[in-house]
Amino acid sequence: MRLMGRYTFAIAILIVLLVANLVMNPARFHPAAWGTLLGMAAPLIGAALASTPVILAGRGGIDISVGPVMALVSAVVIKVLYLDHGLASPLILWPAALLIGGLIGAFNGFMAVVVRVQPIVATLGTYLILGGLTLTILPAPVGPAPDWLKAMAGGWSFLPLGVIALIWWALSRTPFNDQLMAVGSDDRAAYTAGVPVSLIRFLAYVITGLLAAAAGMMLTALIGSADPKVGANYTLIAIAAVALGGVSLAGGKGGLLGAAIGAFDIFLLQSLLTTFNLSTYVLQVAYGAILVSAVVLIALQDRGAKRSHA
Amino acid sequence: MAELSAKGLVLRPGVGAISARVAPGEILGLAGLDGHGQDQFLRSLAGLEKIPGTVALNGTRIANFREAGRARIVYVPRDRRSTGIFPGLSILDNFAIATAGRDRRGPLISPAARRARYETWRERLQIKAPSPEAPITALSGGNQQKVLLARALAREPEVLLLNDPTRGVDVATRHLLYDLFRDLAQGGMALVILSSEIEEILALSHRVLVFRDHEIAAELAGEAMQTAAVIAAMFGRAG
Amino acid sequence: MSRIFTGQIFTGMKARIFGAFLVAGALHLIGTLLIPGYSAPFAIRALLVIAALLAVASVGQTLVVILGGIDLSIPFVIGFANVVAAQLYGQGWHFGLVCLVVFGLAIMIGALNGALSKGLNIHPLIVTLGIGMIVQGLVLIWTKGFPAGSAPKAVSAFVSIGGSFGPLPVPALIPALLVLILLVVLVMERTPWGRQLYALGSNPGAAPWALINPLWIWTSTFAASAFFAALAGILLLGFTGSAYGDVGQPYLFQTIAAVVVGGAALIGGRGSYIGTIAGVLVLTEINTLLIGLNFSPASVQAAFGAIILLLVSLYGRERHFRTTV
Repeated sequence: MRLMGRYTFAIAILIVLLVANLVMNPARFHPAAWGTLLGMAAPLIGAALASTPVILAGRGGIDISVGPVMALVSAVVIKVLYLDHGLASPLILWPAALLIGGLIGAFNGFMAVVVRVQPIVATLGTYLILGGLTLTILPAPVGPAPDWLKAMAGGWSFLPLGVIALIWWALSRTPFNDQLMAVGSDDRAAYTAGVPVSLIRFLAYVITGLLAAAAGMMLTALIGSADPKVGANYTLIAIAAVALGGVSLAGGKGGLLGAAIGAFDIFLLQSLLTTFNLSTYVLQVAYGAILVSAVVLIALQDRGAKRSHA
Repeated sequence: MAELSAKGLVLRPGVGAISARVAPGEILGLAGLDGHGQDQFLRSLAGLEKIPGTVALNGTRIANFREAGRARIVYVPRDRRSTGIFPGLSILDNFAIATAGRDRRGPLISPAARRARYETWRERLQIKAPSPEAPITALSGGNQQKVLLARALAREPEVLLLNDPTRGVDVATRHLLYDLFRDLAQGGMALVILSSEIEEILALSHRVLVFRDHEIAAELAGEAMQTAAVIAAMFGRAG
Repeated sequence: MSRIFTGQIFTGMKARIFGAFLVAGALHLIGTLLIPGYSAPFAIRALLVIAALLAVASVGQTLVVILGGIDLSIPFVIGFANVVAAQLYGQGWHFGLVCLVVFGLAIMIGALNGALSKGLNIHPLIVTLGIGMIVQGLVLIWTKGFPAGSAPKAVSAFVSIGGSFGPLPVPALIPALLVLILLVVLVMERTPWGRQLYALGSNPGAAPWALINPLWIWTSTFAASAFFAALAGILLLGFTGSAYGDVGQPYLFQTIAAVVVGGAALIGGRGSYIGTIAGVLVLTEINTLLIGLNFSPASVQAAFGAIILLLVSLYGRERHFRTTV
């Protein structure tokens, strides 16, 4: 029930924005266009999902390399594998993308958990390295993406997100989810209770890397090409979406669903403001204002809940 | 010289109200099984609990922790590691942090003044430290506790509220602290000491309040202060 | 026994700072050996000015990190100060008044960051990001994305690489920075506020009992951070000559990197401005060196990331959480 409470604001904003969008822009939100709509929202949702596991794992856990991973995946898959080597099959490109994401996640996890560099600094290092690498591979945008991939921004857009949801649902039936939350809320207590804290944290980074790779594929699908500059922008906005969705940056509180709702909120806001034909400047103020007011409201609600318990 | 009084404190809805007072020069002991309200009572004397009832020093009402601090009612919390020491800081810093303004000469803290102030307390409490610049974490539990007491005493309290002050402290240090508390009382300070050890309470206090179910089960003084009587009251048996 | 233990902790912190200065020196030596003219007077002056600007921008991040927070609004406040100062000065305002307005607004922005973070217990990363986005958006709306105006000549001369200060062959910025370093160190080491800052970062749970007001410390620290960001923004206006809203963007990660390379822990309670200065020199040397070696901007960025990781793995490691059980 308390968990539901954390989502309240994200859901409330979701409903308001959804209604406003439906009124302002019925064609775009017609059921027949839902596939395309989801395809447009998918990269941000993916990036927000990716940012969540490391944050849940606590002790300053954060991965700011999510955006650059998306860009690198896009660059390698389209430029190196598809255009240079003619590999077009999803059975090659998807595993390749996930392998990149998983390896980077493992590297981040190694730096944060084994070498014990503060996560924001460790992933900042990765952020810069990946940014440079991507620009070296792909100095300018190239395209197109294979047709099957482009279809994933249209009618098939539910597929990657659906698979992620299914896998996370399955994971939540294993002890992993509980252990992750235990590590995030109090790692010392979790350690004394026999939870393999370091392993769980490491796995959280790997999962974040895998999800970031999936988000990169969704981004590639949406823009139908590879662009070295677009990915990195997703990092901070994804973290904002995660916070909006009620995930505590201190760890241990929240979940993927909240992050996805938070991301969809931001997408709807974007969509609404574009309908009004407002400048991107106004959009930025609106982002910031919604983000700040949402976290303030969540905090006030937490405080109220605490008081009524006392 | 100040008398602290509490009137009509209700520690939990539905239980009886508590009134108590502690006079200058008196040591009041608080006993009870863990979680029976003595902790809350002590905290409310420090202005930390928002519950019905009033706390007053010499008749002036103390509404909150800030006012308590201003009236020199000083509270020393129980858990040394989470609410006591600043692990990254030196012994000197840990001692002076609550009274840092007093060492100021112009805008800056004078290291000499701070050092001198620390030395007087180091001698009085027999703090054993390699050097005042060493981190507080280099000290034993007993010596850390002494530094925290020095921090509190540097505020020149009228009333000193101690939450289990000898927890995790070695026997030699305990006896040193007992002597210190008696000394302070003799100098006119009012002390309220919560302890989980009955023997300690009986040895130190002039008067004991025994808590059960968030009420005072017994108030013992003089001849009546016996281990058996405290235990009986703790467990709710007629004494 | 305990003496050995204490010795280790203190030399540990000092060793980190000393190590960072050594690395900066070594990088400079490498640069001098590999690149002709690396140690030419003009090159050194340029390096010092660029480092000094980063040093000013990093004051706030140092304070905030010691507190156990982080300030992502620094680049936005830099951009805000840069654009607003240019715009107002361009409209004919007296520059003293311009500074008053810019610093006043910046302090209010920073105070809001700190008060919201501590007062409502929200992670400062989110608060400062959100407030920063609002500030930048408002500036963009106000200038319609095309800021105009420039800095007074005096400010440009103050930071000019070719400038001089009396007999010294460096612009006034450099001696001014030395004074600033002295002031910041004195405030942190020798004032009640400074000691409370370290104490609060070291153990927030113990602070109220030691008469520390966490809300005030957070509010004032973030206000100070925004003030120094604004100062950096105005100095950058003098440096580049014209207003640019994104001028602060490189400082987002650079200030954090400088603070961490300088030995501060992001969990709070540890760090010093001298350490940050060492970190600033290291970062500036790396950047200059890589550009001097004709790396492409992309490779400079990647190498920059790799070197930060390397340095931090060498001496910026956290304790294992098990040792804190």
